[in-house]
Amino acid sequence: MKKWKMLLVVIGVMLLVCSSVLAEEGGTAAAEGSLAKGLIGLGAGLAIGLAAFGGGLGQGRAAGSSLEGIARNPGASDKMFVPYILGLAFIESLVLYAFVIAFLLRTKM
Amino acid sequence: MEHGFTWFSLLPFIANNPERQLIFTTIFVAAILCIISIKILFSIKKSPNPLIPKEKFCFQNFFELIIQATINIMKDIIGPHAEKYLPLIGSLFVFIFFCNLLGLIPGFLPPTSNLYTNGACAIIVFLYYNYQGFKEHGIKYLKHFAGPLIYLAPLMFVIEVISHLFRPFSLMVRLYGNISGDHAVLAIFSSLVPLIVPVVFLILGLMVALIQAFVFATLSTVYIGLAVSHE
Repeated sequence: MKKWKMLLVVIGVMLLVCSSVLAEEGGTAAAEGSLAKGLIGLGAGLAIGLAAFGGGLGQGRAAGSSLEGIARNPGASDKMFVPYILGLAFIESLVLYAFVIAFLLRTKM
Repeated sequence: MEHGFTWFSLLPFIANNPERQLIFTTIFVAAILCIISIKILFSIKKSPNPLIPKEKFCFQNFFELIIQATINIMKDIIGPHAEKYLPLIGSLFVFIFFCNLLGLIPGFLPPTSNLYTNGACAIIVFLYYNYQGFKEHGIKYLKHFAGPLIYLAPLMFVIEVISHLFRPFSLMVRLYGNISGDHAVLAIFSSLVPLIVPVVFLILGLMVALIQAFVFATLSTVYIGLAVSHE
């Protein structure tokens, strides 16, 4: 048993060190002064920001009302699980379209 | 997305070619799944009574758990004939789940964090549910596209076809956005604070991997269910 614990600890430490070594450098080089690049950056930031705002409101409503439903009728929580996750996935996918567009814009910078 | 280092970039013939690395990673996951399933097949054949579950927790119990949960959810959505569609849905779920999990290991890119792998899965789902619809209803399957009123049919047909074509696209982009976004968050936080803090995001990544595989499989089930339902 002790060997296993030691092995786990060693693997954990290795993973931590690896992830710190392999991590990407945050932030690219600053865009070189042109207005167009700045506008593209602004557009990308606004796109994901507004999408996250709307998606957060929508998912908050969905989670709130489903919790209300579970609080009134705890037995229904099993049946509510699949539609709840699906609803969240549909709301989230709209945010992800904006994320993809922001990502495409970032590669154009 | 640029990735600093991957283990597969150590291999000589795919070192500087991201597409080949992607293909190799996908084949890697598929090979792991093949090895596991062959092993389980042999252990089932060897055991005197395979219906009795193993005492210890092993791969066989794990996959039995996954398949049982998948069948239950499919029966909720499609109905009692759901087991017919289990091979595609179950293998999609397991494959996508393992692809997502591979992204949590440092030095691996998840194969699902780009549009090609997801697009392949999504197009297969699209072709499969249309094929099952035609198989179930014959040529009457086209009625599903026509809407309730006959004189609105030309308009409804266009709208329905566009919405059907959008389904594989949304499946593809949803998986891609979630997994690559999760991977990017993990990368950024582990470059900001290398110790301890990324563990939280690894746990988040585990949840995202499970939930996204679940959502992909469930949405495919819903599409198949809509195509084969008798309404």
